[in-house]
Amino acid sequence: MLWCRLAFFAAATMLVSAAHAQTTITFRFNDPEAPQMRQALDEFEKANPDIKVTLQRVSWSEAQQQFLREAAVGAAPDVAQFAFGWPRPFSAAGALRPLDDLIQKTGIGIAGWDQFIAKELAFGADGKIYGIPFTTDTWAMLYNKELLKAAGYDKFPTTWADLRAASKAIMEKTGKAGYGFPAGTCGSPTMWFLTNYYIWSKGWAFVDQQPNGGKYFVNVTPDQIAEAFDYYDSYLKQGHNPKANLSVCLWGAPEIVEGMVSGQAAIASVPDSVGIQIINAFKQRFPDKPVPFAAAPHPADANGSRTHLGGRMLSISQNSKYPEQAWKLIRFLTTPEPTFTKHYTNYVQAQRPVMSYERLPHEIAPGYTDQIKTARSWGPYVLGPVSIQFMWNAVGRAAGSAFIGEKTSKQAAADLHEAISKELAKNQK
Amino acid sequence: MKGDRRFVASMLLPTFFFLICFYAYPTLYNVINSFTDLSLFGMRKGGAWVGFENYWELVTSRDFRNVLWNTIVWLTFIGVSVRIVLGLALAFLLTSRTIRKYRLQTVSRVLLLVPWATPPIVAILIWRWMLDPGVGVINVMLTGSGLVDQPIAFLATAGFVWPALITIITWNTLPLVTLTFMASLQSLPDELIEAGEMDGASRLQLLRFVYLPHLKPAIVVMVLMSTFWTFNNFTYVWLTTGAGPGLYTNVMATEVYIKGFVDGRLGYSSAVGVVMAAIMTAFGLLYLRVIARRELKEVF
Repeated sequence: MLWCRLAFFAAATMLVSAAHAQTTITFRFNDPEAPQMRQALDEFEKANPDIKVTLQRVSWSEAQQQFLREAAVGAAPDVAQFAFGWPRPFSAAGALRPLDDLIQKTGIGIAGWDQFIAKELAFGADGKIYGIPFTTDTWAMLYNKELLKAAGYDKFPTTWADLRAASKAIMEKTGKAGYGFPAGTCGSPTMWFLTNYYIWSKGWAFVDQQPNGGKYFVNVTPDQIAEAFDYYDSYLKQGHNPKANLSVCLWGAPEIVEGMVSGQAAIASVPDSVGIQIINAFKQRFPDKPVPFAAAPHPADANGSRTHLGGRMLSISQNSKYPEQAWKLIRFLTTPEPTFTKHYTNYVQAQRPVMSYERLPHEIAPGYTDQIKTARSWGPYVLGPVSIQFMWNAVGRAAGSAFIGEKTSKQAAADLHEAISKELAKNQK
Repeated sequence: MKGDRRFVASMLLPTFFFLICFYAYPTLYNVINSFTDLSLFGMRKGGAWVGFENYWELVTSRDFRNVLWNTIVWLTFIGVSVRIVLGLALAFLLTSRTIRKYRLQTVSRVLLLVPWATPPIVAILIWRWMLDPGVGVINVMLTGSGLVDQPIAFLATAGFVWPALITIITWNTLPLVTLTFMASLQSLPDELIEAGEMDGASRLQLLRFVYLPHLKPAIVVMVLMSTFWTFNNFTYVWLTTGAGPGLYTNVMATEVYIKGFVDGRLGYSSAVGVVMAAIMTAFGLLYLRVIARRELKEVF
């Protein structure tokens, strides 16, 4: 009995000392694939028994302010997942640790730092690197081929006017919604993206930069903004996008996914991860039916078809006590095997040698591949003096005001133009 | 005597300590911030002094006038009025002879407590589902009965969003108002009512000359408390509509949040907070001095 007790105490002591030797770092992850990411982290812990990773969850809509609040008091997580546009302003806020020394010491990525995309967004204003591009994505038009065919369309429309006409035809001939987009208002509304795609295709932009590193300026007029609002509003007014979508804000909302899966809507503008979600949900519900979906680029105008080259970055907080361990985790996560091959499979890596949409379901891979070729960087939106978050909120709310008739589209557009111009004038040094 | 003073002072010291640390200091800090351009992205370096610039922007902003209107008229005046009127009606109903006759007091009081026991976040989620245009039970009933052709996006349509929001707030907070009025009604001696009835007073006269004067102190307290709670409320509006559609339901509390944590303008957001506190202080003082002084003396 005594021996048993002694053995127990010895084992307990060993466990306690082992626990003391272990370093615990926190990883803030905002995507819905938390269980899959946890599996990847388990593999990391197996390969690095001295490091334990606590997975923290925050929604994307809360992630930015939550991190900044925590960083201000030195309590931010060690590693965090950010949108492409965040490292620069976060580094200016003193919330992030520069990564240059770590990159120099161990290298990063399967073919080195130079092979990462969107590198310009990873730099702070001080010229140091604050983020490692993790994944990349863009949005394309996901559509139901059968519904389009029933409306008389063998090919996906290539202009905004054609898309409008196709939506009308779909409603008239099938009774289903055409282009079912979320028109609701929240802190991070979908209308931000859709408005940008429209104005970018025409060569306009909320913020642009004069050539040769010149001044930033608002490159869209109030009338042009109103034109974009009126375009989308016409779908709602004429019932070709259900009015119920006025209460839907996010691109991956259940209403949008369900609308496509059930065939109640024919067209959606979604990032590739949501495209995969829609196809998987369809296959699960109708295992015997062929998948009716395909993807195509957004409609084009004088400036072609333009969406954003989006993505995620990984950064280390300034307050991290374990930057070496945090860096190990970043290196692990940015290596394709096993994170992207086994667990986090809905996403495309942001490194040129492995940046391929071939891993997407074959039904939508060609459409997304075509779209990413013409996708543009957020560029002046991130590097310029008006924060994306400010514009995102302002554009979404202005569109919402126009859609519900609180303001005319012209008034909403004029107010929005004034707000962005003021913010730009205030912050441009 | 001196010993007593020392004892009292030492007993009050912890209270003052906590008040200074957790109320006076943050308030002062917020007031100072409101005169700076402090940004969410520059919290470490702090904000630069901008004088009254934030306040000037605020008073000249058209959007802020809408925010004031939404907060004072829709959220507070209409919201509190609905609650007080319904609370009174429900209190009369639940203390009525009919309820007593059929021994429904216990059941009705338990049912009354259900909304109050429901946390606001749960209440909001349940109502959002019920009001959902796609799967919400209210739209299913409306379209099923043929009253409307198309489902109504209650929380995204200008004509419906405020009534829907006030319905949710009222459902969740009405029980407290009702219970307070019920407690007051139960302290009303039966003899007074009987005397009134024997004198031939009609029901309306009883309400005007017996019930309401008796309920007045309770009404005064509930109006004051409900106004403070409602005016400062963030949870219901933000979680139900996110201040939208557009900025249609933006109120002062959500404006503080949007400006501070979405737009990142903590200085401006602090100025909105200061104005908010000033309005409520002014209301409280006015209400206590003009309307409620006599009634509150009876209560406290």
